[in-house]
Amino acid sequence: MRPPPGRQRLSREFIARHQRARIIAALAEETMARGYRAVTVADIVRRAGIARNTFYDNFSSKEDCFLATQDHAVEEALKRIVEAATEVEGWDQRLAAGLGAFLKYVSEEPALARTCIVEALSAGDAAQERFEQSLQSFLPLLRLGRKDTPHGDELPDTLEEAIAGGIFWLVYQRIVLGEAEKVEELLPDLVDFALTPYIGAESAQRAVARL
Amino acid sequence: MVPDPSTDAPAEYPPELSRLPPGRHGLPRDFVIHNQRERLIAGLAESVAEKGYGATTIADITRHAAVSRRTFYEHFDGKDECFVAAFDAVTEQLRERIDGAYEAEDEWTVAVRAGIEAMLGFLASEPNLARLAMVEALVAGPVVVKRYDAAVETFLPYLRAGREGRPKAVLAHLSDSTEEALVGGMVSLVSRRIVAGQTDELEALLPDLVEFTLAPYVGSDEAARIARG
Repeated sequence: MRPPPGRQRLSREFIARHQRARIIAALAEETMARGYRAVTVADIVRRAGIARNTFYDNFSSKEDCFLATQDHAVEEALKRIVEAATEVEGWDQRLAAGLGAFLKYVSEEPALARTCIVEALSAGDAAQERFEQSLQSFLPLLRLGRKDTPHGDELPDTLEEAIAGGIFWLVYQRIVLGEAEKVEELLPDLVDFALTPYIGAESAQRAVARL
Repeated sequence: MVPDPSTDAPAEYPPELSRLPPGRHGLPRDFVIHNQRERLIAGLAESVAEKGYGATTIADITRHAAVSRRTFYEHFDGKDECFVAAFDAVTEQLRERIDGAYEAEDEWTVAVRAGIEAMLGFLASEPNLARLAMVEALVAGPVVVKRYDAAVETFLPYLRAGREGRPKAVLAHLSDSTEEALVGGMVSLVSRRIVAGQTDELEALLPDLVEFTLAPYVGSDEAARIARG
């Protein structure tokens, strides 16, 4: 697509990034509409309003595009989580803020959420591995909670994994039920669930009350 | 009809029943001998273990099951339906093991520990079935995924039973989604090990899983104590 006159000075890099983002959004929307297995490159380019060549300038295959979609979503999610967390003080507040930002992102981008949280599990080995890695990338943030508790090193090694798994399962269920937009309703329960093992039930309740 | 000593099929059985699939399917031998449907399920499990569900064809299934293609279609419309049957057979076995262990204990905390132990033991001893139910199931189409989700939900009552008789302060702290989050976390830990082919590490998860699931009901100290059993 030719840029309108007067905008030819847009850098190639800018246009490329914009195109890439459009293709990713199109894949997410097509995946939500028809399920990943049924999506074709033709579907994606039609939705994105680009030429087939443009798709292949950016990605080598549907799967390549899918993996890029996952990477994009994780990067964006982490960015929002960290941004929200750094605006407040105290680990319990940071966790609550980060979790809130995550749920907000899911509710604002239901197609992306469906693609990365539901469809990823059935989109092949590489996608499933990416999913595992993305789950892992949230664990260090949770693990910081161990510093805030006297019994930090006595907590089970797999605690963060289990908490992240629980959060994902609840979010996954809501998406499967077509209720991604309502996922922020889970925030109080999830903050309680995530904080209690580290700081105890009462402190967790207090943090929830401050939401 | 001469019995084939390598398969233990009785003399009166027709020859095709003596060609049993080897035991990697994990289903009891009697079960398989007596029922073509079960032989097909076993055949599917064999093929999935060998090449994954995506690459499995009906020809693969019937070859492993030593039944005809026509027989396959007498029982199933296609491979997806056969997979659903296999999935249900595995989850049924798993549920029986867990239930048996759980019901054998009087104390709820100990019962939960026993149930989790039985689950991990089953999955560790049957890596192919574990993979079928928890990994391959996710690529076998929306019907199976729904079954998978429903199977996970069947664990909720075991934990929810822990609410009985708890002090108000504890109950006030539990939410509608507590059991779902706990089971979700547990399933996540288990399935990640299975995906990574680390079924030998499953049983080592027992203390962590027990502590994680019991803590909201009995507190972390008591949960840790039971976990270390």
